[in-house]
Amino acid sequence: MEQPRRITDSFPRRRRGPGRPPGRLKDKKDKKEKDKVQVKKVQVKKVQVKKVRDCPRAPSQPPLDPALLEMLRRFDLSWEYGPCTGITRLQRWERAQELGLSPPGPIRDALLEHGDNPDVTYRWVWGGTGG
Amino acid sequence: MFSEQAAPTAQGLLSPPSAKPPTFPRVPVSGYSDCSQPFQLGERSFSRQYAHIYAVRLAGMRPGLEQRARSRWGNDIALRKLSELQAGEKCCVVGTLFKDMQLQPSILQEISEEHNLVPQPPLPKYIQPSDELILEDELQRIKLEGAIDVQKLVTGTILAVYGSEQDDGKFLVEDHCFAGLPPPLPWTGPSSDRFVLLASGLGLGSVSGEALLSTQLLVDMVTGQLGAEGEQSCAAHITRVILAGNLLSQNTQSRDTLNKAKYLTKKTQAASVEAVKMLDEILLQLCTSVPVDVMPGEFDPTNYTLPQQPLHRCMLPLASAYATLRLVTNPYQANLDGVRFLGTSGQNISDIFKYSSMDDYLEILEWTLLAGHISPTAPDTLGCYPFYKSDPFILTECPHVYFCGNAPHFQSKLLQGKEGQQVLLVTVPDFSATQTACLVNLHDLTCQPITFSSFGADSED
Repeated sequence: MEQPRRITDSFPRRRRGPGRPPGRLKDKKDKKEKDKVQVKKVQVKKVQVKKVRDCPRAPSQPPLDPALLEMLRRFDLSWEYGPCTGITRLQRWERAQELGLSPPGPIRDALLEHGDNPDVTYRWVWGGTGG
Repeated sequence: MFSEQAAPTAQGLLSPPSAKPPTFPRVPVSGYSDCSQPFQLGERSFSRQYAHIYAVRLAGMRPGLEQRARSRWGNDIALRKLSELQAGEKCCVVGTLFKDMQLQPSILQEISEEHNLVPQPPLPKYIQPSDELILEDELQRIKLEGAIDVQKLVTGTILAVYGSEQDDGKFLVEDHCFAGLPPPLPWTGPSSDRFVLLASGLGLGSVSGEALLSTQLLVDMVTGQLGAEGEQSCAAHITRVILAGNLLSQNTQSRDTLNKAKYLTKKTQAASVEAVKMLDEILLQLCTSVPVDVMPGEFDPTNYTLPQQPLHRCMLPLASAYATLRLVTNPYQANLDGVRFLGTSGQNISDIFKYSSMDDYLEILEWTLLAGHISPTAPDTLGCYPFYKSDPFILTECPHVYFCGNAPHFQSKLLQGKEGQQVLLVTVPDFSATQTACLVNLHDLTCQPITFSSFGADSED
């Protein structure tokens, strides 16, 4: 018999940010949350089915460039643009723009280009809850 | 207004009515535009922390403060962040104030088991001589001492301090300045006398019904059903009525029903239901005759945090059939006949009163205008929505009339600014206690109180 498989082998543990009200389709980020919730439900029900296997993301997306993720992390941690928790990176970028702090343009392009990728749009969360 | 114009026609009260009953058309509403959009919340998400509102407050007010610092202390002063401070160097720092108060109610102290403390009873003022001021900017904080009035200032104010860092790590302040009056708005006021009636604290639903007669007198006066032709023609010059909060009394807020068992409280109604019905009837009488703006207050059925959202029109079915009723936010900003009004229901002023040595509501009102922020103590001691994009309480334009409701007495003052600003500061008294409302003349920015007292059983005259 093969080694007992854990469910976390197929579906890596992901923490999402503080709960957003479900069922709100107004913003892109909320739609992201809803999709994630739906995908998670699918994960729980169809454990044995090989179809929904690897990552909760849509399988058609290529894995992200680590340099891009690093650039976004540095944007999160730069103190000039204010706190980074509780809002999406795009919201933070736009707020910095309106306050006249001139945030770098490539960040916004990257955020819009990968707008459907939860790793990109969400603020950086470390380990625990994003709160 | 009333006493001057009514006196010549006083004999009309004791003479038979004139053959043809005169009509007094109310002065038409020429210009009204609501400018309270920043205070209207769309989607509400409480999953954010309050660090955002402080960050945008500082970032939003910093440029204006740096400019004022330069004009006050010279163009060549050094503007430093706290991380760049060097001991002994005279420089200017812009930051947010934090007042460390021993008596400030703290939920953590209350629930802390090691102290075994009884929760502190609410005090009128929480200041103490041992309070300390700390200046914070984006990264660091530093204690302030020197030429700065610790007792007077409150947490959340953005200011610029000029001084130097001492060896013990504290900042010795030689001078400080606030954002000052915001830039003036052009004056396009009316050319003839137009009046706006400001009233607050109607206090419906209270146990004693003494204020009800005064409220009815107010309504009758505004709708022109009181007095002879002199008073009626005066009342026709009132273009608008603004009710600045606390339409319901504090008695409607009792939560006894929460502690009792369900079977005892099943059939009881909240006290506010009856009070809102009374409010609806009073507003119906007013709305048939004059445009009314209703702002919510501390005891009204709307949300607790600032900015308070308008009362819902389903609570006022009779009055909301009229287009003259406008349910507005607290704080409220609007252009009435070219005159910019800005005001709150008084929660911001009474909160600063609790945490500052300033005793006079008019003084506090003036201070908030000079500090450039409607309510600096939000969100520290006053509930506030966690804004993240911009702080809507920062004053960007100087209003012509700046009022606050539910003050203990009526006071008013005309403030002149250096750049040509002219602001009429009005503290609207609590009607249920003082039976006084205010009449603001839009033509020349003056204000007079109008009292509707009735003779009680134990009054002398």
